[in-house]
Amino acid sequence: MKWLEKDSFLFLLPAFLLTIVLVGYGVMMAISESLHKNGRLTFQYYIDVFKNNNFIASLSYSLWIALVSTFFSMLIGLLITRWLYYYLKSDFLKIIYWIPMLFPHFVWGYMMVLLFSQSGWFSSLAYRIGIIHHPDEFLVIIKDSHGIGIMITYIWKETPFVILMLLPVYHQLNHQLSSVVKTLGGKDWDVFKTVEWPWIMPVLFETSIIVFAFILSAYEVPYLLGTTYPKMISLLVYEWFFEGDWSNRPKAFAAMLSVTMFIFSIMMAYTSLLIKKRYQMMKGNGK
Amino acid sequence: MTRKGTKLIFFFSILFLVMPVILLIVKSFSFSWKWGELFPTTWSLKGWQVLLTEPRLWQALQSSWWIGIAVVLLNLLIAIPAGKTVAFHSFKGKRFFELSFILPILIPSLAVAMGLHMTMIRLGLADHWLGIVVVHLLPSVPYTIKIFHSSFERIGPHLENQAASLGSNKWYSFYSIYFPLLVPSIRSAVFLVFVISLSQYALTALIGGGNVITIATLYFPFLSTAKEAVIASFSLIFAVLPLTVLLLFELLIRIFLPYRKRNR
Amino acid sequence: MKRLFALLLPIFIFLSACSTKELSSASEAKLLEHKWKQIEQEAKNTKVRMFMWGGDEGINDYMDEWVAPKLKKQYGITFERIPMDTHEILQKLLNEKKAAEEKGTIDIIWINGENFKNAKENDLLFGPITEKLPNFQKYIDTRSLNTQYDFGTAVDGLEAPWGKVQFVFLYDASKISQPPRTFAELKDWIKEHPGKFTYPDPTDFTGNAFLRHLLYEAVGGSEKLLKQGYDPQFVKNEVEKMWAYLNEIKPYLWRKGETYPNSLTELDRMYSQGEVWMTMGYNEARAESLIKNGTFPTSTRSFVLESGSIGNTHFLAIPFNSPNKAGAMVTINFLLSPQAQLEKFRPTYWGEGMSLDPNKLPEKDQQTLKQINRGKSVLSSDVLKDHLLPEVDSRYVGWLKENWLHEVARKR
Repeated sequence: MKWLEKDSFLFLLPAFLLTIVLVGYGVMMAISESLHKNGRLTFQYYIDVFKNNNFIASLSYSLWIALVSTFFSMLIGLLITRWLYYYLKSDFLKIIYWIPMLFPHFVWGYMMVLLFSQSGWFSSLAYRIGIIHHPDEFLVIIKDSHGIGIMITYIWKETPFVILMLLPVYHQLNHQLSSVVKTLGGKDWDVFKTVEWPWIMPVLFETSIIVFAFILSAYEVPYLLGTTYPKMISLLVYEWFFEGDWSNRPKAFAAMLSVTMFIFSIMMAYTSLLIKKRYQMMKGNGK
Repeated sequence: MTRKGTKLIFFFSILFLVMPVILLIVKSFSFSWKWGELFPTTWSLKGWQVLLTEPRLWQALQSSWWIGIAVVLLNLLIAIPAGKTVAFHSFKGKRFFELSFILPILIPSLAVAMGLHMTMIRLGLADHWLGIVVVHLLPSVPYTIKIFHSSFERIGPHLENQAASLGSNKWYSFYSIYFPLLVPSIRSAVFLVFVISLSQYALTALIGGGNVITIATLYFPFLSTAKEAVIASFSLIFAVLPLTVLLLFELLIRIFLPYRKRNR
Repeated sequence: MKRLFALLLPIFIFLSACSTKELSSASEAKLLEHKWKQIEQEAKNTKVRMFMWGGDEGINDYMDEWVAPKLKKQYGITFERIPMDTHEILQKLLNEKKAAEEKGTIDIIWINGENFKNAKENDLLFGPITEKLPNFQKYIDTRSLNTQYDFGTAVDGLEAPWGKVQFVFLYDASKISQPPRTFAELKDWIKEHPGKFTYPDPTDFTGNAFLRHLLYEAVGGSEKLLKQGYDPQFVKNEVEKMWAYLNEIKPYLWRKGETYPNSLTELDRMYSQGEVWMTMGYNEARAESLIKNGTFPTSTRSFVLESGSIGNTHFLAIPFNSPNKAGAMVTINFLLSPQAQLEKFRPTYWGEGMSLDPNKLPEKDQQTLKQINRGKSVLSSDVLKDHLLPEVDSRYVGWLKENWLHEVARKR
């Protein structure tokens, strides 16, 4: 392992400065806010956060929702990309698959309400067909206690993002290799395992971390579709941050930093597992 | 996958993707639409009228568009070199660099907003469109670095080495070798970054300080009303902007691509 | 690596070195000593920017189409309305305060309650301003509790009342012939019509007001709470009745009380779809514009309970670092003029209650006021006035949020 050469250093510098100077200072301030009580250094807020029943309930609820939504977004996104990438070279079709990304999350959540709530469009349809007679007979999907409405919204919204991240991979894959595997008598699954998986795996894992982190920290969808208790962690933190006399703000900082640290450690574990493999793979490409 | 299966997937996925848009279009022209009715019973242009009579709509569209374009260009400028370096070189502290690049999207913007704002005040960029552009880089650059990182990895460094041994200069080899291969990634990045920049509300409001009105700062307050036609019309105009950028991108690619490739 | 630190060190030193310096408040203090005529003179040909929530086209149009041209014509002021949520505004001001930014971008903010308390405690406001405003002195009942206290926080002249609204329930007259008159009758109605009533989660402003009204009732009137100030212990002992009431109606609420609307917007949408039969909210005239644009049924009417209806005053204030304080004062003064307040009262744009004392208005304006028809869904001003209840200390807002969760929402 060697030091970075000058040229490459310059290449990394803008990105590095941007993140470290802007985010670094923000993180430093957030940490300092979460550690000071009346000017004195204290871990009290972190203790408060982890002793708080609402926080623990919200955390496990949010982790569950984020996990399920991420898993299904990845799965559906991968399947659609794999089946359709050939057709998705057409610009028009690509745009259709990117439609959900054109709208902010808030609008997408709101669309869920219009379609799936007990007085939504599908409920009206069920009424017209004669399955139900009153709105309250319709299935509870929105604001249900398991967070199914939130999950559907995220899966619907994040799947196109997964497709967007995976499409370049499939477009750049060496598809002659796939034919080779097939002529040698391999099945679809063999093609996937030997030709595609090594390339999509890093992208898949990184994308899943991004999606996971986003769902944990985003506020709009649970605001529209969440139940009163438990609330998703982002909503709870938002309340602490803005509520009342601002005295809960340090607690909000402590909670946000804890969740970030949690995701960050997953990320660390993952990169240390993959970084070597990745480099070997890249070196081997094109030879 | 059989032909029939492919068609079925196409049909259902497109149904799921297009249905909400149709719903929004219908909603934006509806006056009253009650439970039990599959279509609105009364129609009105009120939703669009509120939008189009907003005195700063045009100005907001313009500033959103130009800020978005600036953010996209800076993203490419920052992320392509960074992605290439991380993909092709192995060096001490590489993991540290990689982790730091992804940090901005792992941490909630609410947590860093205060420090960010104070930094911008001290740099003299607060209450100015330049500050907004810089701040929009944060939630977008991590994505673009990821995209180009994996893209360069797939291409591999060998093509460039070959070109270099044939004596072509660095810039030309980038333009003729990498650029065509990078187009799918660039397209994804342009689209994604523009959408991210467009939908930033809290950071834009804080750093722009009201000196810069973007479409998001006009539109987000309307989300807390029960007037659904207005929300629908705003959402539609919001969604049209990235499409114009994609259109522009395709146009430019057709002009500047050194040779037409199979994967366009 | 070394190069990196060499680069970063000066940057961080630069960022953290600019510690808070004292603001120079000399020129500001001088402005408050000026005569009103002088202030008006200073405001001429300047630009005033008011930051306010921008999600209601009636309010937006009032500011853009009526206020802005009048200010231009009468005072030569260029008025600009900037849409921004109060959360963001206060966050911006607080950061600017910490960074000692003396020249901000905001001239006027629209504020009340907890937000005012935070702004005042963090010295984010300029003033006292109200004693300088001629229209405040002339037309506003300066001795009333509503102008002296904002949710239990002393106003101290830092903000001028802009409007007054009252809490009302809205119902669909085609479905309910006789709305309930007391909380007891409301309970009976809810039990007879399971699933047709709910209230927003108390983290919402309106949902919290509904609970506050119930709290008044439980402790035996708002006077007791006002006299007591903020006293959680006192309330804790008295409040069992309130939790009992809420838990008794819970199984008969929308979705059996397993979940509540997160916001008034959500409740309004359910009401507009007929999912529930009642909604509520501050601003006695709020149904009018929603009926007009087709959201609410035309048969929507309003009612108040016999025990009263909480009134809420909202205010205008000037941030500490407003770049144009003179212009801001002239603008606020104009917004408090009978002319501007009457126009705001009319259902044409906004239809919201005046902050002025009707008895202090000139004869002609009093006549105009009487002739304004606010619409069928609005109760008469006499009924509203008779039922007016004050707001209590804003810390009860947070208290209710916290305790409601344990006492009601989490109980199965």
